[in-house]
Amino acid sequence: MAQPIKLSIPSHPKYLGLIRKVLQELLDYHEVPNETAMRLILCVDEACSNIIKHSYEGPCEEPIEATFYIDERDFKVQIRDYGKQCDSSEIMPRCLDQIKPGGLGTHFINEIMDDVSYCTERAKGTLLTMVKNLKGELTSVQEKNKE
Amino acid sequence: MSIELKLEHHSDDKVTVSVKGDIDMSSSKKARDTLTPLFQANNKAIIVDLSGVSCIDSSGIATLVEGLQWSHSSQNKFRLVSLTPGVKDVFEIARLLTVFEVFDTKEEALVN
Repeated sequence: MAQPIKLSIPSHPKYLGLIRKVLQELLDYHEVPNETAMRLILCVDEACSNIIKHSYEGPCEEPIEATFYIDERDFKVQIRDYGKQCDSSEIMPRCLDQIKPGGLGTHFINEIMDDVSYCTERAKGTLLTMVKNLKGELTSVQEKNKE
Repeated sequence: MSIELKLEHHSDDKVTVSVKGDIDMSSSKKARDTLTPLFQANNKAIIVDLSGVSCIDSSGIATLVEGLQWSHSSQNKFRLVSLTPGVKDVFEIARLLTVFEVFDTKEEALVN
Protein backbone atom coordinates (compact mmCIF):
# COMPACT_ATOMS: atom_id res chain seq x y z
CA MET A 1 0.00 0.00 0.00
CA ALA A 2 1.23 3.53 -0.78
CA GLN A 3 2.44 5.94 1.88
CA PRO A 4 -0.51 6.80 4.14
CA ILE A 5 -1.99 10.29 4.36
CA LYS A 6 -2.51 11.48 7.92
CA LEU A 7 -4.77 14.23 9.18
CA SER A 8 -5.53 15.26 12.74
CA ILE A 9 -8.49 17.49 13.54
CA PRO A 10 -9.85 18.87 16.82
CA SER A 11 -13.11 17.35 18.03
CA HIS A 12 -15.23 20.31 16.89
CA PRO A 13 -17.98 19.71 14.31
CA LYS A 14 -16.73 22.67 12.26
CA TYR A 15 -13.70 20.60 11.19
CA LEU A 16 -15.84 17.87 9.60
CA GLY A 17 -15.93 19.92 6.38
CA LEU A 18 -12.13 20.03 6.34
CA ILE A 19 -11.72 16.27 6.64
CA ARG A 20 -14.34 15.76 3.90
CA LYS A 21 -12.47 18.15 1.58
CA VAL A 22 -9.08 16.52 2.16
CA LEU A 23 -10.53 13.06 1.53
CA GLN A 24 -12.33 14.27 -1.60
CA GLU A 25 -9.00 15.54 -2.98
CA LEU A 26 -7.28 12.26 -2.16
CA LEU A 27 -10.00 10.15 -3.79
CA ASP A 28 -10.07 12.43 -6.87
CA TYR A 29 -6.29 12.03 -7.16
CA HIS A 30 -6.74 8.25 -7.22
CA GLU A 31 -9.62 8.54 -9.70
CA VAL A 32 -12.14 6.91 -7.41
CA PRO A 33 -15.56 7.28 -9.08
CA ASN A 34 -17.57 10.16 -7.64
CA GLU A 35 -20.45 8.07 -6.27
CA THR A 36 -18.04 5.79 -4.40
CA ALA A 37 -16.01 8.77 -3.20
CA MET A 38 -19.10 10.45 -1.75
CA ARG A 39 -20.01 7.24 0.08
CA LEU A 40 -16.53 6.86 1.56
CA ILE A 41 -16.56 10.50 2.63
CA LEU A 42 -19.96 9.96 4.28
CA CYS A 43 -18.54 7.05 6.33
CA VAL A 44 -15.57 9.08 7.55
CA ASP A 45 -17.86 12.02 8.39
CA GLU A 46 -20.20 9.73 10.35
CA ALA A 47 -17.33 8.06 12.21
CA CYS A 48 -15.87 11.44 13.25
CA SER A 49 -19.33 12.73 14.24
CA ASN A 50 -19.81 9.65 16.43
CA ILE A 51 -16.45 10.31 18.12
CA ILE A 52 -17.40 13.94 18.82
CA LYS A 53 -20.81 12.91 20.16
CA HIS A 54 -20.17 9.64 21.99
CA SER A 55 -16.45 9.42 22.71
CA TYR A 56 -15.52 12.98 23.67
CA GLU A 57 -19.09 14.02 24.59
CA GLY A 58 -18.58 17.76 24.29
CA PRO A 59 -14.97 19.03 24.52
CA CYS A 60 -13.97 20.51 21.15
CA GLU A 61 -10.17 20.45 21.36
CA GLU A 62 -9.54 16.72 21.67
CA PRO A 63 -7.69 14.97 18.83
CA ILE A 64 -9.27 12.90 16.09
CA GLU A 65 -6.52 11.31 13.99
CA ALA A 66 -7.39 9.90 10.58
CA THR A 67 -4.95 7.85 8.50
CA PHE A 68 -5.92 7.08 4.91
CA TYR A 69 -4.40 4.25 2.88
CA ILE A 70 -5.32 3.79 -0.76
CA ASP A 71 -4.03 1.63 -3.59
CA GLU A 72 -5.51 -0.02 -6.66
CA ARG A 73 -7.24 -2.66 -4.53
CA ASP A 74 -8.45 -1.07 -1.30
CA PHE A 75 -9.30 2.11 0.53
CA LYS A 76 -8.59 1.83 4.23
CA VAL A 77 -9.05 4.46 6.91
CA GLN A 78 -8.09 4.25 10.56
CA ILE A 79 -9.60 6.78 12.93
CA ARG A 80 -8.13 7.12 16.40
CA ASP A 81 -9.63 8.93 19.34
CA TYR A 82 -8.59 9.18 22.99
CA GLY A 83 -12.02 9.55 24.56
CA LYS A 84 -14.47 7.21 26.21
CA GLN A 85 -14.05 3.69 24.95
CA CYS A 86 -16.96 2.09 23.23
CA ASP A 87 -18.24 -1.43 23.68
CA SER A 88 -18.06 -2.64 20.09
CA SER A 89 -20.71 -5.30 20.75
CA GLU A 90 -23.18 -2.48 21.42
CA ILE A 91 -22.47 -0.65 18.16
CA MET A 92 -25.11 -1.82 15.75
CA PRO A 93 -27.42 -0.14 13.26
CA ARG A 94 -31.00 0.42 14.31
CA CYS A 95 -34.01 -1.08 12.56
CA LEU A 96 -34.85 1.12 9.56
CA ASP A 97 -38.54 0.18 9.65
CA GLN A 98 -38.98 2.84 12.32
CA ILE A 99 -38.96 6.28 10.72
CA LYS A 100 -37.35 8.44 13.38
CA PRO A 101 -34.52 10.97 13.64
CA GLY A 102 -31.02 9.75 14.44
CA GLY A 103 -29.12 6.49 14.57
CA LEU A 104 -28.34 6.22 10.86
CA GLY A 105 -24.57 6.77 11.01
CA THR A 106 -23.72 3.19 11.92
CA HIS A 107 -26.11 1.94 9.25
CA PHE A 108 -24.29 4.02 6.60
CA ILE A 109 -20.89 2.72 7.71
CA ASN A 110 -21.96 -0.94 7.78
CA GLU A 111 -23.84 -0.67 4.48
CA ILE A 112 -21.02 1.03 2.54
CA MET A 113 -17.82 -0.45 3.97
CA ASP A 114 -16.70 -4.06 3.42
CA ASP A 115 -14.96 -4.39 6.76
CA VAL A 116 -15.42 -2.41 9.99
CA SER A 117 -13.65 -3.05 13.29
CA TYR A 118 -13.30 -1.22 16.59
CA CYS A 119 -10.20 -1.85 18.68
CA THR A 120 -10.18 -0.73 22.31
CA GLU A 121 -7.10 -2.68 23.42
CA ARG A 122 -5.26 0.44 24.50
CA ALA A 123 -5.15 2.69 27.54
CA LYS A 124 -7.48 5.34 26.14
CA GLY A 125 -9.87 5.65 23.28
CA THR A 126 -10.67 3.57 20.23
CA LEU A 127 -9.10 2.74 16.88
CA LEU A 128 -11.74 2.35 14.19
CA THR A 129 -10.65 0.64 10.97
CA MET A 130 -12.85 0.72 7.87
CA VAL A 131 -11.95 -0.96 4.58
CA LYS A 132 -13.61 -0.72 1.16
CA ASN A 133 -12.58 -2.93 -1.73
CA LEU A 134 -12.04 -0.71 -4.79
CA LYS A 135 -10.83 -3.30 -7.28
CA GLY A 136 -13.91 -3.36 -9.52
CA GLU A 137 -14.41 0.40 -9.26
CA LEU A 138 -10.92 1.49 -10.25
CA THR A 139 -10.61 -1.15 -13.00
CA SER A 140 -13.72 0.19 -14.70
CA VAL A 141 -12.33 3.75 -14.57
CA GLN A 142 -8.99 2.61 -16.02
CA GLU A 143 -10.73 0.72 -18.84
CA LYS A 144 -12.86 3.77 -19.59
CA ASN A 145 -9.73 5.94 -19.77
CA LYS A 146 -8.13 3.52 -22.26
CA GLU A 147 -11.09 3.82 -24.66
CA MET B 1 -18.95 24.94 7.23
CA SER B 2 -22.00 27.18 7.47
CA ILE B 3 -25.19 26.85 5.53
CA GLU B 4 -27.55 29.48 4.20
CA LEU B 5 -31.29 29.06 4.51
CA LYS B 6 -33.59 31.34 2.56
CA LEU B 7 -37.31 31.46 3.30
CA GLU B 8 -40.00 32.39 0.81
CA HIS B 9 -43.55 32.67 2.10
CA HIS B 10 -46.39 32.11 -0.35
CA SER B 11 -49.93 33.45 -0.10
CA ASP B 12 -51.58 30.05 0.49
CA ASP B 13 -49.79 29.23 3.78
CA LYS B 14 -46.99 27.45 1.96
CA VAL B 15 -43.33 28.22 2.54
CA THR B 16 -40.23 27.24 0.64
CA VAL B 17 -36.87 26.87 2.38
CA SER B 18 -33.87 26.95 0.04
CA VAL B 19 -30.76 25.45 1.59
CA LYS B 20 -27.23 26.13 0.37
CA GLY B 21 -24.20 24.31 1.82
CA ASP B 22 -23.43 20.99 3.47
CA ILE B 23 -25.89 19.75 6.11
CA ASP B 24 -23.74 18.00 8.70
CA MET B 25 -23.30 17.91 12.46
CA SER B 26 -22.02 21.51 12.48
CA SER B 27 -24.88 22.99 10.45
CA SER B 28 -27.92 20.81 11.13
CA LYS B 29 -28.78 22.84 14.26
CA LYS B 30 -29.16 25.97 12.10
CA ALA B 31 -31.43 24.03 9.74
CA ARG B 32 -33.48 22.75 12.71
CA ASP B 33 -33.69 26.25 14.22
CA THR B 34 -35.09 27.52 10.91
CA LEU B 35 -37.58 24.70 10.39
CA THR B 36 -38.96 24.37 13.93
CA PRO B 37 -40.77 27.77 13.98
CA LEU B 38 -42.30 26.87 10.62
CA PHE B 39 -43.73 23.69 12.14
CA GLN B 40 -45.15 25.69 15.03
CA ALA B 41 -46.65 28.30 12.64
CA ASN B 42 -48.87 25.57 11.19
CA ASN B 43 -47.98 26.15 7.55
CA LYS B 44 -49.98 24.03 5.11
CA ALA B 45 -46.84 22.99 3.28
CA ILE B 46 -43.12 23.32 3.85
CA ILE B 47 -41.05 22.75 0.73
CA VAL B 48 -37.32 22.26 1.24
CA ASP B 49 -35.21 22.99 -1.82
CA LEU B 50 -32.00 20.95 -1.59
CA SER B 51 -30.54 21.91 -4.99
CA GLY B 52 -27.75 23.80 -3.21
CA VAL B 53 -26.79 20.86 -0.99
CA SER B 54 -24.14 18.46 -2.25
CA CYS B 55 -23.47 16.71 1.06
CA ILE B 56 -25.80 15.57 3.84
CA ASP B 57 -25.07 13.22 6.74
CA SER B 58 -27.19 11.44 9.34
CA SER B 59 -27.66 14.61 11.42
CA GLY B 60 -29.05 16.41 8.36
CA ILE B 61 -31.31 13.48 7.56
CA ALA B 62 -32.51 13.51 11.19
CA THR B 63 -33.53 17.17 10.83
CA LEU B 64 -35.57 16.39 7.73
CA VAL B 65 -37.16 13.34 9.40
CA GLU B 66 -38.43 15.74 12.08
CA GLY B 67 -40.23 17.56 9.25
CA LEU B 68 -41.70 14.29 8.09
CA GLN B 69 -42.96 13.56 11.60
CA TRP B 70 -44.49 17.04 11.80
CA SER B 71 -46.21 16.36 8.48
CA HIS B 72 -47.66 13.08 9.73
CA SER B 73 -48.90 14.53 13.01
CA SER B 74 -50.31 17.76 11.55
CA GLN B 75 -51.62 16.39 8.23
CA ASN B 76 -49.69 19.17 6.49
CA LYS B 77 -47.15 18.68 3.70
CA PHE B 78 -43.39 18.42 4.07
CA ARG B 79 -41.77 18.08 0.67
CA LEU B 80 -38.24 17.86 -0.66
CA VAL B 81 -37.16 19.33 -3.98
CA SER B 82 -34.20 18.99 -6.37
CA LEU B 83 -32.08 16.39 -4.61
CA THR B 84 -28.51 16.40 -5.95
CA PRO B 85 -27.04 12.95 -6.81
CA GLY B 86 -25.03 12.77 -3.58
CA VAL B 87 -28.00 13.66 -1.39
CA LYS B 88 -30.29 11.27 -3.28
CA ASP B 89 -27.79 8.46 -2.74
CA VAL B 90 -27.74 9.07 1.03
CA PHE B 91 -31.56 8.95 1.12
CA GLU B 92 -31.45 5.69 -0.85
CA ILE B 93 -28.95 4.09 1.53
CA ALA B 94 -31.15 5.20 4.45
CA ARG B 95 -34.15 3.71 2.58
CA LEU B 96 -35.97 7.01 2.94
CA LEU B 97 -36.35 8.03 -0.69
CA THR B 98 -39.83 6.52 -0.95
CA VAL B 99 -40.85 7.75 2.50
CA PHE B 100 -40.54 11.46 1.70
CA GLU B 101 -42.49 13.30 -0.98
CA VAL B 102 -39.75 14.26 -3.45
CA PHE B 103 -40.23 16.60 -6.44
CA ASP B 104 -37.95 17.67 -9.27
CA THR B 105 -38.84 21.38 -9.06
CA LYS B 106 -40.23 23.86 -6.54
CA GLU B 107 -43.06 24.68 -8.93
CA GLU B 108 -44.23 21.06 -9.00
CA ALA B 109 -44.08 20.82 -5.22
CA LEU B 110 -46.11 24.02 -4.83
CA VAL B 111 -48.80 23.05 -7.33
CA ASN B 112 -49.55 19.50 -6.23
